[in-house]
Amino acid sequence: MSRPTRLNMSVALLALCAGFSTAALAHNPMCECKAIDAEQIKCTGGFSDGSGAPGVTLDVIGYDETILVPGKLGADSTLTFKKPGAEFYVLFDAGPGHVVEIDQADIEAP
Amino acid sequence: MSKSTTVAQPSRLSVIWHKWRFHINVLLLLIPLGFMPRYFADAALFRGDSGLGEREIGEIQVGPWSLRLAELRDEAPRSDGPAGYLKGFNAALCDACIEPVKATYLRIGKPRSLRAAGSIFFGTPYRMGIQLPVPEKTKADADLWITMEGWDGSLHQASIPLSQASPATVAWLNKQGAKP
Repeated sequence: MSRPTRLNMSVALLALCAGFSTAALAHNPMCECKAIDAEQIKCTGGFSDGSGAPGVTLDVIGYDETILVPGKLGADSTLTFKKPGAEFYVLFDAGPGHVVEIDQADIEAP
Repeated sequence: MSKSTTVAQPSRLSVIWHKWRFHINVLLLLIPLGFMPRYFADAALFRGDSGLGEREIGEIQVGPWSLRLAELRDEAPRSDGPAGYLKGFNAALCDACIEPVKATYLRIGKPRSLRAAGSIFFGTPYRMGIQLPVPEKTKADADLWITMEGWDGSLHQASIPLSQASPATVAWLNKQGAKP
């Protein structure tokens, strides 16, 4: 009868890891905006499973609900726009119910 | 003729292993039994046998329609990494609303517009689910807003205090302190 070999131990460890891992099924939208200088704001969108969001709509909307900057994220999942003069919020819109709102007060200064 | 063989003395660990290995393996088979109650409770929860969720909030009137709301689990929001904290709710539409209601949304705080109505309920109208983002800076006296959109374009909204919808979430917000 052989002792438990290193291979057997590795197999057991692998089985345990597979058993305790939970599948990451959710892919919730996320968006982050930062002011890169006094005039420009850069927003990056994505999903919580790690995927990017190229081509997803990102609008800059005034408090009076007028769309100030209609935009779409570029191939690198980012969009840079000029800070509007009026009060605004950023809406990352990946479809109904898959939105992230970022108020101007929550955008980090450079 | 004499044979001199030196038999290696088996180690103590090896002796114990050979003597008890069958018993140890039976114990290994017993370990999953300890997880069975949790497994069956979860299976009943997701199948709906133990109700809409762990904690029923009740029937909420939204204009001409209504829905039954429940917390999936009676616990604080769970972290989803960079997407922030999420709280699971379940809902069932009233029998008369199943046909006319197109979509149901949930949001903490009053929605600015239909586009920003919050997260959307998905699944069968008898048992819909949602993962609601709960910003860490949410005030404990915030309201949970329900927006229902009809196929005819009509919109109806209602709100309930977050403390009524999920005391565990409010306790979590109070515990970690209101973030700036």
